[in-house]
Amino acid sequence: MSDALENLLTNPRIWRGQARTEDPGWQGLASGYPKLDQHLPGGGWPQNALTEILLDHYGTGELQLLMPALAKLSQPQNDQKDGREAGWIAWIAPPFEPYPPALKQWGVNLSRILIVRPRGGKEALWAAEQALISGNCAAVLLWSNELDDVASRRLQLAAGAGQSWAIAFRSLRALSQPSAAALRIRLDAGKQGTDLGILKSRGGRPAVVQDYAG
Amino acid sequence: MWLCVYLPALPLEALIDTPEPAAVFEEQQGIRKILLANASARAAGIGPGLTINAALALFSALRLDERNPVREARVLKDLAEWSEKFTSFVCVEAPSVLLLEIAGSLTLFGGIRTLRQRIVRELDSQGFHAGVAIAPTPLAATWLARAGRKVCIRDPGNLAGRLRTLPVTCLGWPDSITALLKGMGITSVGEALRLPRQGFAKRFGAGRLLDLDRALGRLPDPRVSYRMPERFIADYDLNEEESDAGLLLNICQELLARLERFLLSRQLAVQNIDFSFFHLQMPATGLSIGCVQADRAVQHWFDLLEIKFARLALPAPVIAIQLCAGQGQQFTAKSGMLQFEGQHKKQQSTSIAQLAERLSARIGDELVHGVMAVAEHRPQYAWQPRSNFEDIPHCANVSSWQVSAHSPGLLAEAHRTNSLVLQRPLWVLQEPELLVVESGVPHYQGPLKLLKGPERIETGWWDDDGIARDYYVAVNPAGVHLWVYRNRDKDRNRWFLHGKFG
Repeated sequence: MSDALENLLTNPRIWRGQARTEDPGWQGLASGYPKLDQHLPGGGWPQNALTEILLDHYGTGELQLLMPALAKLSQPQNDQKDGREAGWIAWIAPPFEPYPPALKQWGVNLSRILIVRPRGGKEALWAAEQALISGNCAAVLLWSNELDDVASRRLQLAAGAGQSWAIAFRSLRALSQPSAAALRIRLDAGKQGTDLGILKSRGGRPAVVQDYAG
Repeated sequence: MWLCVYLPALPLEALIDTPEPAAVFEEQQGIRKILLANASARAAGIGPGLTINAALALFSALRLDERNPVREARVLKDLAEWSEKFTSFVCVEAPSVLLLEIAGSLTLFGGIRTLRQRIVRELDSQGFHAGVAIAPTPLAATWLARAGRKVCIRDPGNLAGRLRTLPVTCLGWPDSITALLKGMGITSVGEALRLPRQGFAKRFGAGRLLDLDRALGRLPDPRVSYRMPERFIADYDLNEEESDAGLLLNICQELLARLERFLLSRQLAVQNIDFSFFHLQMPATGLSIGCVQADRAVQHWFDLLEIKFARLALPAPVIAIQLCAGQGQQFTAKSGMLQFEGQHKKQQSTSIAQLAERLSARIGDELVHGVMAVAEHRPQYAWQPRSNFEDIPHCANVSSWQVSAHSPGLLAEAHRTNSLVLQRPLWVLQEPELLVVESGVPHYQGPLKLLKGPERIETGWWDDDGIARDYYVAVNPAGVHLWVYRNRDKDRNRWFLHGKFG
C-alpha cells in the first residue's frame, strides 16, 4: 500500500468496518479496568475530548469507573518523560457532595479538587467551558441536563483547545440525541456488578462489557 | 536642598483640559470675574479681572467654569503622589506649591539639572505649567518659584544675595502688609531686611520676621512630609449622566490604572476592591470584586470586572464612579519558569486561582471551593470546603485516610481486612435523608437489601453533637449501592440514607 493510503488509514476519523485498527494513533488514559480497556481504542479513555456517560440512577458505579484514571491525573508524574504536574479535577454541578475520605481511599489528591456549584444549567455549561479552555484542569466533570448537541460540540472543542478531558454525565433520555462526544457509554446495574455499554467510540466499535470492575 | 514646584495656573489646569478657549471665574464681592484664562482665550483678549459678561461679549463660545478648590486640592495631592517617585520627602503647601527634598535623589537621577528637566518635562506632559526653583531652604525655594526665577542655588552663602532682589509681593504675605510695606517705600526683600528687627516685628508681626529668618537659613524650618493614604480611593465625575456600558467600563479601567500606579509605588497588592456607581435620583449601586491572591495588575481586575459588570443591572444612568481598594498587602512577585525553545509543554496562560476567580465572579464566592479531609470519626465532619488553592503540604508517613484516624487498633484491623471496615461512599448527601420503613425493611425506590455491616460509629458525645449509628452498605432493586444507617440512641429503628457508592 502506498504511504498516502497508509497515512489516511491511521487517521482516527476513518472508521474501518471490517478489522479493528489495533493502533488508533493515540494513547488513551488507562481506565484501571482491563476488561474495559481492551474495548477502548488506544487502550484507555480518549484524552483531550469529551466522554459522555449516560445513566438513570446516580450510584450505579459511575464514579468508581473514573476513579483510577482521576487518581492518576491528580498525582504529579515525575517518572515519565514529559513530567507533567499534578492536574486539577473540576467537579461542576455535582448532584451530591463528593466525599473526600472516599476520594482519598481511591488515591485522589484532594488538594487538586475544585468544586463548582453553578446556580443554573446554563451557568454550569459556561463554567465547564471556562475550566476546559483555561488549560489548568486535567479533567472536568459536568452534571447537566441542559447539554444538547451544540453544547456537546462546544465542550468537545474546548477540551481539545485546553488539552483537557471532559466528562459529562447525562440521563439515559439523552440516548436518542446526537452528540459530538468522542466516547459515549451507558451504565446499567447488572446481576453481578455494573454493566457498561459502549454506544459510540471514535476509532472503536460499540460493545458491551458486563461487570466492568469484575 | 529643596526643589519647589509652583503651579500658578492650577485653578485652570485642574478643571479644564482643552485647547478651546476656556476660563475659570471666581466670585469676588458679588461680581463674577475671570481668574485665569487659557492661551486661546487670552489670544481672544480675555484676561484675569474681566467680568464674565465682558468676556462673553468678546468671545461668545467661551467655556466657563467656576473655581473648585476641592478639586485643586485633590489634583495637588495626586501630583504629590506622582512626585514621590523622585524623593521620599514631599511636602504639600496649599494652595499650589509642592516642595521636594532632593538632596538624596541627585545621584540616582543623574544630577540636579537632569532631575529638574525631567520634573518639568513630565509635568508638562500632564498638562501643568510649573515654575521650578531650587534653594537650600524651603521658603526661599518657594519665593523664588513664585517670583518666576528659574534659579538653582546650591551654596547657602549665595542665598541672601539672590533673595534681596525678590519683590515682596511673592512672599505670600497678606495684601494689607504688602500695601503697608509699599507705603513705606519698600518693594524688595533686601529693603525689608535692612529695617530694624525690633521695629519690623512690632509693625508686621513676629511671624513675618521669622519667615525672613527661615528663608535665609538663620532659623531651622522643619517640614512635614506628605503621607500617602493607606487605602486607595479615587473617583471620577462624569459631565453628564451616562448609561453606556462601554464608556463606564473605560472609566473603570482608568480608575484601575490609577490603582495600579498607587500599589506599584507602595509595593503593595490588594485582594478586594469596591466600585460605587452614583446616580442622581437613586442610592449608589455597589460592585465588589474579590480575588483569591492579592493582585495589582489592571488587566486581571478588569477581566473580573467585565464578568461582574455584565450581570449588574444599573437602575439609573451614572453620574460618578468611585473606586475603593481594600487593605493593602505586601506584594510578592512570583518568578516564572524558564522556557526553552522546542519544548512543547502547553502554556498555562492562567493559574487555577485565576480560573476560580473567573468562576466565582459570575457564580458566587461560596459556590467555588476546594475540599480537604479532616481527621474525624463522625462522617459528616470528616471533610471541609477550603477556599485557597495552594497545595496541601504532605505529611510524612500519612499515606491514606486510615492513618489519620488516630486509633492504632482500628488501623491494624483496617489493614488486615483491607477496606472492609472503613468502606466509604464517593457521594454523600448534604443532609441524611429519612427512609420509609415498611414491615421493618427500609425502602429507597424499592426495598433495600443489606450487604455489609453494621459498622458502628458512636462518638462525639463531648460536644453536644454526638452520634450513635450503625452503618450498612445496602443495595436497592435498581442496583444502586447505598450507605444507610440506623440510629442507636434516639428514634431507634429510623433509617437514614447518608451516601451513595457512585
